[in-house]
Amino acid sequence: MKNTGFICTSQQCAAGNAEKVALRLITPDLSRIDYTFQQLEAESNRFANVLQDLGICKGEKVFIFLPKQVEVFFAFLGILKFQAIVGVLFSNFGKEAVFDRLLDSAAKVLVTKQSLYDRISEVLPNLPALEKVILTDLPEHESDRLLSYAQLVSGAGTDYTVADTDPETPSVLHYTSGSTGRPKGVLHVHGGYTHHLKTMDEVFQIEPDDIYWCTADQAWVTGVTYGIIGPWAKGITQIHFTGKFDAVDWFEILQREKVTVWYTAPTALRMLIQDEARIDGKYELPDLKRVYSVGEPLNPEILFWVRRVMKREIYDTWFQTETGGVMIANRPGLEIKPGSMGKPLPGIKAIAAGEQGEELGPEQIGSLRVKKGWSSMFRMYLNMEEQYREKFHGDFYDTGDLAKVDSDGYFWFLGRNDDVINTSGHLVGPFEVESVLLEMEEIIDVAVIGAPDDMLFEKIVAFVKLKDGVEWSKGLEVKCRIRVSKQVSPIAVPSEFVVTDKIPKNRSGKIMRRVIKAQYLGKDLGDISTMED
Amino acid sequence: MKVLDELTTVFEEVFDQKGLKLTAETTANDIDGWDSMSHVTMLMAVEDHFGIEFKPYEIANLVNVGALTALVEKKLAEKG
Repeated sequence: MKNTGFICTSQQCAAGNAEKVALRLITPDLSRIDYTFQQLEAESNRFANVLQDLGICKGEKVFIFLPKQVEVFFAFLGILKFQAIVGVLFSNFGKEAVFDRLLDSAAKVLVTKQSLYDRISEVLPNLPALEKVILTDLPEHESDRLLSYAQLVSGAGTDYTVADTDPETPSVLHYTSGSTGRPKGVLHVHGGYTHHLKTMDEVFQIEPDDIYWCTADQAWVTGVTYGIIGPWAKGITQIHFTGKFDAVDWFEILQREKVTVWYTAPTALRMLIQDEARIDGKYELPDLKRVYSVGEPLNPEILFWVRRVMKREIYDTWFQTETGGVMIANRPGLEIKPGSMGKPLPGIKAIAAGEQGEELGPEQIGSLRVKKGWSSMFRMYLNMEEQYREKFHGDFYDTGDLAKVDSDGYFWFLGRNDDVINTSGHLVGPFEVESVLLEMEEIIDVAVIGAPDDMLFEKIVAFVKLKDGVEWSKGLEVKCRIRVSKQVSPIAVPSEFVVTDKIPKNRSGKIMRRVIKAQYLGKDLGDISTMED
Repeated sequence: MKVLDELTTVFEEVFDQKGLKLTAETTANDIDGWDSMSHVTMLMAVEDHFGIEFKPYEIANLVNVGALTALVEKKLAEKG
């Protein structure tokens, strides 16, 4: 049986873990609610039965648009058991971001809550494929389309027989930003769990009694692979915190819940560093064995801080939405070179490639490419066959990252070779932000770039050309910020706005972000021969 | 209009949620979308709405809406 939902629940129960705590949910007031593997099994079965009762077909898409709450996990696993395709949308997404993804995927069902439903309700009538909206906080069904989660699951049985699942059966659909165009739907398959298990063993070196906490939101690949599937496919207890970031709360959880393996992100660690006075020396973390990092390069400053304050080793890991699981990592048993991503996992072939695709020698900067063949590799960009093909060069997948390999085989991340912005571990496509700003009556032209930032790794900077007679003001900046926040996401809101008279473009009208960035950073502009007058 | 009522209007706009019920005890945990990113936009929107400016040390430890309300009232009083 290769069904991911089955492996995370039924298989764990059969292996003697039925009464073991699978999910320890910590609420904002730090109360604890435990769910056993048996409860996960029963509640995910209920949701699979709900989909069946609603007449949903296998292979259709069901999206979850919720903050971290227990229904995310029940529904996610139920959707996989049913063999529908599950997608999770970040709960801070604005209506346009939600609309784009639901439209592109032709989603049939959306699971959300009243306040988020209110945020997006005006765009829902324009989604013809969307048949059912299920609200987790609606006591009773409101119509044939607007349904109550509670009412649905109360009428659904806790037994569900998972059908045999081919490893190539589509499972999870993530959306990721590109440098041009709308976000791309990255499709994974059930068989990918074998790579997840491999990384839980080889990178995280998980043991049965570990208490594991991955702080990522379930809307991102890390939150799915390492906040749902990987840990539960290994049958371990994982923590999830439903509150917002707070340094003291996080350390309280690490200490009180005896977390042994902690997976987080450099931006979160930088926020902890800022709050060091509130935590340093106040917490003992005797149970914590290791810390891991993902999402952006782990700069040496953070590594040394974790060693000094937490007195533990921190291991950087590298992967992407498309790779589905960790490809390159530091890990116990491998000497750490601060600032390096580590080495590819056994069985993974990664290279820094030159312009002809050749493998470059030590210290030469090239495109980071990974040889095809690992089980959690994405299988398509939904509705974008050509863009999918373009990502492969012979046997190698081109990650879009620039890297070099040193003489000891360690990989070093050097940036992106496209315009995608990595801000606090989230990828933002400049096009998404530009589109929204261009719709404003005050703005006639706009370009968005990423620039280095001490806290966010990269901050979003928007260059705006105003219409004649329009004056820049705090009010207009607030208007721009709120617009991007509402339409796309708070993550995509520019940290800085620069008013300009001209947006550099090439003769085909394409924004020359490279030039804008160089200008902004005070660097050499490079080749500008293709720039329009 | 009381400061809390005006803050409610600003919050509804920033967090795109109509019918928000703010109280002095409301914190980021009570409002969908109130995170470190949107916090900056919210503070700028509050400044713009009331015509005031916060200093970094004034906003470092705003624990809840009550603290924000008190700060806005203080700034308005200073403004005269």
